[in-house]
Amino acid sequence: MSTGVSLMLTLAFLTLIKSVPIVYAALGGVISERAGVVNIGLEGMMTAGAFSAVVFTNLTGSPIVGLIAGIFFGAFLGFILGFAATFFKVDQIVAGVGINLVALGGAAYGLVLIFNQPGASPQVNQLAPEQLLPQITVGETALIVLGLLCAFGLNWFIYRTPWGLRVQACGENPRAVTDAGLDPLRLRLYSVIASGALAGLGGAFLSICEVNLYSDGMTAGRGFIALAAVIFGRWTPWGATGAAVFFGFFEALQYVLQGRISWLPSDAMQALPYLAALFAIAGLVGRVRAPAADGVPY
Amino acid sequence: MHGIRKVYPGVIAVDGVDLDLLPGEIHALVGENGAGKSTLANIAFGAVKPDGGTVEAAGTVGLVHQHFELVGRLRVWHNIMLGREPRKGTVVDVDRARSRVAELAERNGLAIDPDALVEELPIGVQQRVELLRELEREPSVLLLDEPTAALAPAEIATLFATVVQLAKRGTAILVVTHKLQEVIDYTTRVSVMRHGKIVARYETADTSVDEIARAMVGGELPQVAQREPTGAAPCFAARDVSAASDTTTVSGLSFEVHAGEIVGIAGVEGNGQTALADAIAGMIPYTGSIELDGDSTALRHRNNIGIVPQDRHHEGLVLNWSIVENAILGRQNLPGIRKGALTDWRAARADAAAIVERFDVRAASLDVAVKMLSGGNQQKLLVGRALIGDPRFVLAYQPTRGIDVGAAALVQSRLIEARNRGSAILLISFELDEILAIADRVLVMYRGKITGSFTGSEIDRGKIGRLMAGLS
Repeated sequence: MSTGVSLMLTLAFLTLIKSVPIVYAALGGVISERAGVVNIGLEGMMTAGAFSAVVFTNLTGSPIVGLIAGIFFGAFLGFILGFAATFFKVDQIVAGVGINLVALGGAAYGLVLIFNQPGASPQVNQLAPEQLLPQITVGETALIVLGLLCAFGLNWFIYRTPWGLRVQACGENPRAVTDAGLDPLRLRLYSVIASGALAGLGGAFLSICEVNLYSDGMTAGRGFIALAAVIFGRWTPWGATGAAVFFGFFEALQYVLQGRISWLPSDAMQALPYLAALFAIAGLVGRVRAPAADGVPY
Repeated sequence: MHGIRKVYPGVIAVDGVDLDLLPGEIHALVGENGAGKSTLANIAFGAVKPDGGTVEAAGTVGLVHQHFELVGRLRVWHNIMLGREPRKGTVVDVDRARSRVAELAERNGLAIDPDALVEELPIGVQQRVELLRELEREPSVLLLDEPTAALAPAEIATLFATVVQLAKRGTAILVVTHKLQEVIDYTTRVSVMRHGKIVARYETADTSVDEIARAMVGGELPQVAQREPTGAAPCFAARDVSAASDTTTVSGLSFEVHAGEIVGIAGVEGNGQTALADAIAGMIPYTGSIELDGDSTALRHRNNIGIVPQDRHHEGLVLNWSIVENAILGRQNLPGIRKGALTDWRAARADAAAIVERFDVRAASLDVAVKMLSGGNQQKLLVGRALIGDPRFVLAYQPTRGIDVGAAALVQSRLIEARNRGSAILLISFELDEILAIADRVLVMYRGKITGSFTGSEIDRGKIGRLMAGLS
């Protein structure tokens, strides 16, 4: 195989792998925002997922248990945000930022408390680390497939089921939902919990599937990129998935180009996915419309 | 409902009200702005908890809101079936939902496309959706809060035809309204509310518009100001104006408004009034020229004009802001209000106080958020803001929309007084009575064109009505 072809192949697989955590978090963003809650806390929920996955894998030796713990703790932070944003009518942005800070600080503190080492955890068992192809493991493949199933499932849920239609109504006009005899606060709470679970899963992928440890700041703003993907994808599951893969591509590109363009500092290269997000969203200003009641406490 | 009481901070909204609705009756609830009608309706519906008293209903209660509670980006069938979606396994059975809606519409004589997107429908049709949504639940009691505030005459007739049918089938109906002619035409009993209490109750057959109006205001109606002769200097001129808004278009309009003149645009809603108003206000691009005193600088860049926009919630007021803040909105750069780079809040308060006093805006204080005011008081604030500085030109779009007879008389008087002092006033209204009452000249608008012009003694209700309907 020529180096050109192998490089393209690497880029393709790396794009898939780098997209996975963003896809999960973006799907989480879609369900939460369609219900009317802006989930700025996605980043923190990913962090919680990544960290707790490592802790529980370390504890039990089973990365499957770690994965479930990641989902659970993401969902738990979702519950906190959901509860604050609905029944306590806390400003959603403030609550979300709070969750990000607590998760980041909590994980850093947990590293010292549990593993007695700051900065990064010891290595734990990786989720199905066997190579399926030279570029990709069995575990990564499984979570890519699961991610697609989640996108498919969320699309089906939002547009086909009665509950999905109610969630949509909730994000557009919660009073209409109240008038229909339903409880919009409860719908919002459940949606944000689901959102946290998806973000937690995305975080767990980062720590126990792509690598085998947690290090401080490893989510590196992917939760925020996911928020951009939600907007870029116009609040639809497949749109957000596509946007997440688009941003994932730039992250992969950045890895592939690393060290190949000598005149560009590596820090500038690392900024590539964020710049892509910035330009993508800037180009959309005024041309997309969020759910009408998105971010408005009820 | 017995002994209903509801207290909001600073106001007793409802004070010991008894109200019985009988199956098959259409009961009108009338009263001035802030008399407590909407609050009472919301208590009956269960959306607001009373501080005292009991509500009993045999069966379910439905409420058609003054400001519809619909989901604009979803389809008609979904809005109507929300919460009671028919299912096929775990998914929504769209075909059954559709046919259910079609059948419901058919039975109630309300034409509707189940698949239309609600936000793309005209206001009158949106209200049908809201009404059908309530009817789907087969309520034994149906409450309608200001149902005709946004409707054209033909739509009003359709609505009441349906309501009368419902009553015949045994539904108890309560209509909250300002429009006393509708009360006389369609209802069986009428209760009058003032300051949170029921002050009078009549069998509709035994009463009259005048009697109800006197009970509402607690005395004689205020007289509308007299028109005084004014000079006829041209002031505002539109020449060959064409423009398109989201829903309506106008093409090749030319007309003038003189200083000291009220020109009324008569027409059924949706015939280009929105496009005309938006073009004049500078909200949408237009071709042709719009001039004030021979100067075609965009009107929105001037500070000697006043505008009463059509949608007070979206274009007129910032609901979370106080009365003072809203009163100076758009006027913040006037010499009296701005001091250097800052706002002179003391002057702004005095200015707001003047509006509140002259336009009888009833509020606990100047600092309450405008969303706490009743719709009528919001409207009076909006009109007051447009008229307070004796502007050269005033664009008044439905200035008495959704307000009671007493407040409407006050607003109309203030418009006439501004005219007497030399303002040129363009009045756009869907209520012909209002135009005939205060306009010096009437232009009829039909499908985006001016189809007739009547001045002074030529003004003829019959001719205007035929032109409004598109007949020659």
